[in-house]
Amino acid sequence: MGSSSSILLTKEEIQNIANDTGFAPNQIKRLYNRFTTLDKDTKGYLDRQDLLKIPELHVNPLCERIIEVLVDDHGRDGKLNFKQFAAVFSTFRRGKVEQNDLNSKQNKLKFLFGIYDRDKDNKINKSELLSILKMLVGSNIPEDQMNSIAERTITELDENGDLVITFEEFCETLQKIDVDEKMSMKFLT
Amino acid sequence: MYLENLKIVSKTLSFWTTSCSSFNTRNLFFVSMANLMLNKLSTTLTTSNQDDDNDTNNNLNEINSSRLLANTFFAIFISNKIFTNFIFKKKFKEILAALVIGLASVGASFGLRKMYVKALLKIFEYATNIKQEKLKDYEELIDNELETQMERHEKIKKMQRLRLDTFRLDSADKQLLDDSDKQNNNYIRDEKEISNKQRTLSDMKRDFQLDDITDFVHQGLQSIIDDQVTKRFTTEELTVWNLLSRNDQQYEYISFRVTILWLFGFILRYCVLFPFRLVLFIFACSFTFLSTFLIGRIREGKFKCWLNWYATLILHRILSRVFSAIITFHNREHKAKCGSICVANHTSPIDVIILSTDNCYSMIGQQHGGFTGMMQKAFSRSARHIWFDRSETKDRTLVAKRMDEHVKDKSNMPILIFPEGTCINNTSVMMFKKGCFEIDTVIYPVAIKYDPRFGDAFWNSSKHTMLQYLMLMMTSWAIVVDVYYLPPMTKYPLEDAASFAKRVKQVIAKKGGFVDLEWDGMLKRASPKLDLMYEQQENYSKHLKIN
Repeated sequence: MGSSSSILLTKEEIQNIANDTGFAPNQIKRLYNRFTTLDKDTKGYLDRQDLLKIPELHVNPLCERIIEVLVDDHGRDGKLNFKQFAAVFSTFRRGKVEQNDLNSKQNKLKFLFGIYDRDKDNKINKSELLSILKMLVGSNIPEDQMNSIAERTITELDENGDLVITFEEFCETLQKIDVDEKMSMKFLT
Repeated sequence: MYLENLKIVSKTLSFWTTSCSSFNTRNLFFVSMANLMLNKLSTTLTTSNQDDDNDTNNNLNEINSSRLLANTFFAIFISNKIFTNFIFKKKFKEILAALVIGLASVGASFGLRKMYVKALLKIFEYATNIKQEKLKDYEELIDNELETQMERHEKIKKMQRLRLDTFRLDSADKQLLDDSDKQNNNYIRDEKEISNKQRTLSDMKRDFQLDDITDFVHQGLQSIIDDQVTKRFTTEELTVWNLLSRNDQQYEYISFRVTILWLFGFILRYCVLFPFRLVLFIFACSFTFLSTFLIGRIREGKFKCWLNWYATLILHRILSRVFSAIITFHNREHKAKCGSICVANHTSPIDVIILSTDNCYSMIGQQHGGFTGMMQKAFSRSARHIWFDRSETKDRTLVAKRMDEHVKDKSNMPILIFPEGTCINNTSVMMFKKGCFEIDTVIYPVAIKYDPRFGDAFWNSSKHTMLQYLMLMMTSWAIVVDVYYLPPMTKYPLEDAASFAKRVKQVIAKKGGFVDLEWDGMLKRASPKLDLMYEQQENYSKHLKIN
């Protein structure tokens, strides 16, 4: 009746993705169902428009940036297919972490760093920081004050005086919070 | 518009002719018409008798007594039929049809459908058990390769628990329901958590930190995996497999036994139930057009009202049988009275049919095109209904005015409104539009809870057209539904319409076991207002130290 999804995952594909990501097969099926619901026109991938249609994401201050990171960095050409989708989200899988697992703390930090670092030079400069700041506060704080906040943050965290925040410096500042705990999500089985 | 309508008319006509030739419906039609006449005659008799005795307004009594009489008439009629015709086995079909329509029009039942549903439940349980066993085997195979001992132990436990309760809500939803009992606005929960954290972290303002984004990013990503709104616009997930492949997206070969079972069900649904239901449906449609046309000719007055009342009841009872609806009404004493507004949660166009089998309502809603539009036009011939174009804001005040006028005239039937404004998959209720709550009258809330195990009643209007949807419904097992009439509510003196709407919604959510959401159902088509984002930004900047 055209109501069930047209493309189904085979057992082999599920197995492959399970091996790659560490998700349980049931979780992958769940994720795939979710993926197909979000993929409105059954294109086989998610783009910016698909993700924007999630109301709760839409009202998130960092919505645009999160989507950008997902479809550009983790997908290709603004398209995120299911394998990439599963791979990104396995970063936030709860559970025991072994070395080189996708859900390592390092990977979570990398994702957060990517939210800031848009030119992918592995450094956060002032304008990148400022753009995030703008998203967080909207029009509630005047421009020049935001400017000074950004400047101060950078000078405080920058250790070698090059006025950019490197990934190592970023990790160090985030030492004080439990990134593993904070960035882990519940995946339904 | 007209062209579209014409097309549909010609389609239905061609349906008619084909079904006439194959099912001998012409005879069926006459038989059932005669039957209906008899029923109507009996209702006339009883009501006129009662009118002499006392001028009662209690329709329930009328219906009950008329049912009795009608049944006796009907029994005579049928036995006569059987005696004369049973020898000619050809006529068996006609008798069956007459029986169904006759029973339907008086709202009686042999209890066959209840037995049917009970049997179905047993079969579903059996199929699900086989499926889960197979799945478990498969899972364990992979588990051995993948998961640690601890996790597996947990999973098996969970599986066992799942199998123990074949309840239809998935575990996450159950949790949510508990949550929503405690705190109603769970959509702001995330934000509240964030702001609470910020408050406890520092009652004073604090500097910007690089990790301030984690909460927002986390919330954003979580909403991609699972959110409260969009999943309400898709088919509800079931833990029991109901042998309809449409509910289980990942359909795969499970076992020989299950496949046989499924095939058997398929044949039953498509080759036995569906043709019969289709004929019944076409009959009901023609009955609608005919009766509304005829009643529309009668001049305004008590007689027209009365005739319309019974015609509509009979019609909707027949229509409800088209989907093998098994309706249980609870607390019938709270049924909406004339000159009031009845408010219900919305799942599908069938809602109207379900509610109208027990009471008559004036309908209000958007003017549709196509098949729905034709039905709307037919209905408004015989009674006062309010149809409007939703995109016209100008119309909106006009509608409010018309509703107000309608309610003030106490002889008018109660207005039936679905204030959510869109179909939701029967797991939650979304924001009630405040329009109808502004009118100064009694509100009768109704909670409609479908049992999704026998067929999903939710109309996913972005996926199926009306006729496609009806087709799906007619090939489902059955529509099992509980209707809870709730005590009437009125607005408190100082309450505004929006909070009154919220209060009514809460009552409905609690009774029907729905998750109470504050989101606007219109999000199905439109993007959300950015107010919520501005709120979060404001909240955040309040806690930021500015030098």
